[in-house]
Amino acid sequence: MTTLGRILVVEDDPNDVELTLTALADYNLANEVVVTRDGQQALDYLCCRGEFSTRSAGNPAVMLLDLKLPKVGGLEVLQQIKSDERLKMIPVVVLTSSHEEKDMMRSYSLGVNAYVVKPVDFHEFVNAVKELGIFWGVINEPPPGSMEKLR
Amino acid sequence: MTELAEGSTRVRVRRNLSFWNQEFQRIHSPILRYGFSVASVGIALGVAFALQYYQFRDVELPVFIVAIAFTTWYAGNGPSVLAVLLSSACFDYFFVEPLYSLEISSRDLPYFLIFVAWAGIVASFSAVRRRIEDNLRLARDHLQVEVEQRRHREDEIRKLNLELSKRAVELEVTNKELESFSYSVSHDLRAPLRHMIGYSELLQKQASSLLDEKSQRFIRTILESAKRMGNLIDDLLAFSRIGRAQTKKTRVDLKQLVEEVVAEIGQDTRGRDIAWKVGALPVCYGDRSMLRLVVVNLVSNAAKFTRTRKPAEIEIGCVDLNEEEVEVFVRDNGAGFDMQYVDKLFGVFQRLHLPEQFEGTGIGLATVQRIIHRHGGQVRGEGAVDHGATFYFSLPKNVQDTAERTANAS
Repeated sequence: MTTLGRILVVEDDPNDVELTLTALADYNLANEVVVTRDGQQALDYLCCRGEFSTRSAGNPAVMLLDLKLPKVGGLEVLQQIKSDERLKMIPVVVLTSSHEEKDMMRSYSLGVNAYVVKPVDFHEFVNAVKELGIFWGVINEPPPGSMEKLR
Repeated sequence: MTELAEGSTRVRVRRNLSFWNQEFQRIHSPILRYGFSVASVGIALGVAFALQYYQFRDVELPVFIVAIAFTTWYAGNGPSVLAVLLSSACFDYFFVEPLYSLEISSRDLPYFLIFVAWAGIVASFSAVRRRIEDNLRLARDHLQVEVEQRRHREDEIRKLNLELSKRAVELEVTNKELESFSYSVSHDLRAPLRHMIGYSELLQKQASSLLDEKSQRFIRTILESAKRMGNLIDDLLAFSRIGRAQTKKTRVDLKQLVEEVVAEIGQDTRGRDIAWKVGALPVCYGDRSMLRLVVVNLVSNAAKFTRTRKPAEIEIGCVDLNEEEVEVFVRDNGAGFDMQYVDKLFGVFQRLHLPEQFEGTGIGLATVQRIIHRHGGQVRGEGAVDHGATFYFSLPKNVQDTAERTANAS
């Protein structure tokens, strides 16, 4: 475990952002986290355009995507990523409050890599986020072209 | 009507003979009908005289027969008899020797009799034809009424259909609304709860050394209540999903299912003294995961409410109700319930025990009921306080025709 992938968090709720970061911080995973607050911003980040036009190239090792987002919804973001040749290899984890079968079906049919329902219980939430961070950021070998940083 | 028919028929006769026929045949007044008879014989007589005057021989007979036929045709049986009598008399009186007397010479008798017979045959044929026509007309009128009624009914059905489709659209809209409602509950209600819990826990962690015992208890209460609310919301959402989810019906071996569930719950209740008794159970036709939820709910309830018993006895078995249904029961010797509140048992969030005694949100039996209803079965419960409870659910048997019936229905 010498490398640590960059984690892109797409989440509109500031409290959820803080809780997610807190959970990741517990495991020293928070350093390489990029937070975008809506679907448009997330796509801008991925495509290195707009406010992110000057960022260093490379895809994140994993993307934690909320479904209910302002401007461009999570499912639409997912669809755009999975239909883009340069982006479709990015592992996308949907991290949402929605238990709805409809959302789940739609996400999987769009090619999501994992679907995680945010647990109401804080401990469970922290554990879920932590495990996601560890698995996708540390254990999983990200696809070639991802940004990596020596730990 | 008759006046109108009489007055206007002459104008229309050339234009529309069938209409004229129709109008004239509606004459029901006996005076007019018999008058028609007399008039036609009179006209026939006149024509016969005219023909005689122009030296045509032996044509009186057909002329009278034509008059009789006309009368029968248009005026009916009675007038036709009158016409036969009148024309016989006229024929005899004016054209049969000796002239101007009703006597008939023996030489002319056969001739005269043939005339009468001929007239009678024509009259009866016409009468038969008329009767058939009457019947036909009656049938046609009947049909017309029926067609009218049918059109009426069709209109009504169309109207009802329209209303129904309008209702269906309305229902769909309501359903959509309901769906989006539960969707927002699922998304938007859980998020603040998660924050409440998260920040309370963070507070607990950060400030535990600063807070006194009372304040810490307050935080604990906040946490517990928020968690409880989270559970309630989750349960409610799961419950509403059961109503909307598609059922995938297959053959389900209840015995195997129950043993699976018992093994699972036995794991959770290790260390307790529970005497399990699983009787023979049938193979049913239903959605396995849903039926599993039913069994899990009932069996875990039984395990929960027998917590104070040593030994606890839980029995699962079935009763053959009739040819179509089988009833499965889960019986325990636990806390039981008062039959007075049996109606509340299957209600959403209805509880018959205090949360300190037995935990739970009160959604389990409501879920059971909803699933069983979706399978076309019934649920019921029996019990007495401190004497245990028995819960029954009925299911259609796994006979081939159940599958067929379902297939036909869908």
